[in-house]
Amino acid sequence: MNIKELTKGLFKENPTFIIMLGMCPTLGVTTQVINALGMGAGVLFVLFFSNILISALKNIIPNSIRIPCYIVIIASFVTIVEMVLHAFAPSIYSALGVYLPLIVVNCIILGRAEAFANKNSIVDSALDAIGMGVGFTMSLTLIALIREVFGSGTITLFAIGNFNGVLKIPVLYQWPVRVISLAAGALLLMGYLKAFFQWFSEKKKGVAK
Amino acid sequence: MKKYLKTALILFVICAAAALLLAVFNSVTAPKISAYEAEQKTAALKNVSGGASIGEYVIVPEGSMVNGYYTLDNGGYILNLTANGYGGSILLVASYSADGILSAAQVISNSETPGLGKKSEESWYMDKFIGKGQNMPIRKTSLSDSDAQAVSGASMTFTGISKALLAGSNFVATLDGGKN
Repeated sequence: MNIKELTKGLFKENPTFIIMLGMCPTLGVTTQVINALGMGAGVLFVLFFSNILISALKNIIPNSIRIPCYIVIIASFVTIVEMVLHAFAPSIYSALGVYLPLIVVNCIILGRAEAFANKNSIVDSALDAIGMGVGFTMSLTLIALIREVFGSGTITLFAIGNFNGVLKIPVLYQWPVRVISLAAGALLLMGYLKAFFQWFSEKKKGVAK
Repeated sequence: MKKYLKTALILFVICAAAALLLAVFNSVTAPKISAYEAEQKTAALKNVSGGASIGEYVIVPEGSMVNGYYTLDNGGYILNLTANGYGGSILLVASYSADGILSAAQVISNSETPGLGKKSEESWYMDKFIGKGQNMPIRKTSLSDSDAQAVSGASMTFTGISKALLAGSNFVATLDGGKN
């Protein structure tokens, strides 16, 4: 067991900003904070179970058919998540819409199966999945927060009791910078954040030397 | 030869196990999902009926966007419409008065983009169509500036829904033509 496997996904090998995996949902789903949290939770769940199962089966699955096997395993977990959410949490299910089935082809999950789980022990794979899943959720939430605050002037969270789940930000709500909530804004913001994280990690490396 | 058989067998076993697992989950969740969907549909119908009692459902055989309709006791109709959105079909229910003026509409199911076309689910989205019949705004240029947030980034959804609503209005007009 290696605790590094858990923490590396958070910053050092953050799936979104450093290894640039899973860009499609990152750009698509980050219009509202709640969507980012839901997507992150879905990916975390699927990644956790698929990593464990693939790691457990790594000596059984022949190398020549590993990709079809991984896809079957991942697709099964995604379908389970989809059915369970549809039955027990229909509001999250309808909010995530088309992105839920897209987790099947989310390259984070296949990427971790291929690059990590089929070479490492079950415990390490589980830690890797948690780290990567939490790292992905954090980056998604960061992007969604910036896009929603500037693009719509709101922060949408879960509705609890009297609180309808939407926080309105005074000035930005009246005059939002609409382009940030559109696809072009997502690409621009992604570029700036990537540049920032690049600068940050370069700087850190420089200090370490 | 033996190697190929072994590989095929492993793939078969994995697929069979996955199918079994899915079947178990499906048997647990399927009744809940269909109950939820039926409940949503009844709620949507009640919402758009405006208090009038809803009659029998009549299926329209070859309607382009109109799937069927309910007759209301106040002389109006509720139509079941299918619109072409960005992410596939959008199902909606819309109620019209006898002369084809839209009085309420609601999206039941869709696969539109969250944050963009998904906004069509919200109650304010249909406001710009209500009270209109043949003059339904089917182009984004026929909307006022304040409707920009409904359309920006989601003009496919808007066009799809407005075309379906217009088709519904036309359909209601033919219904009444037959009656008179």
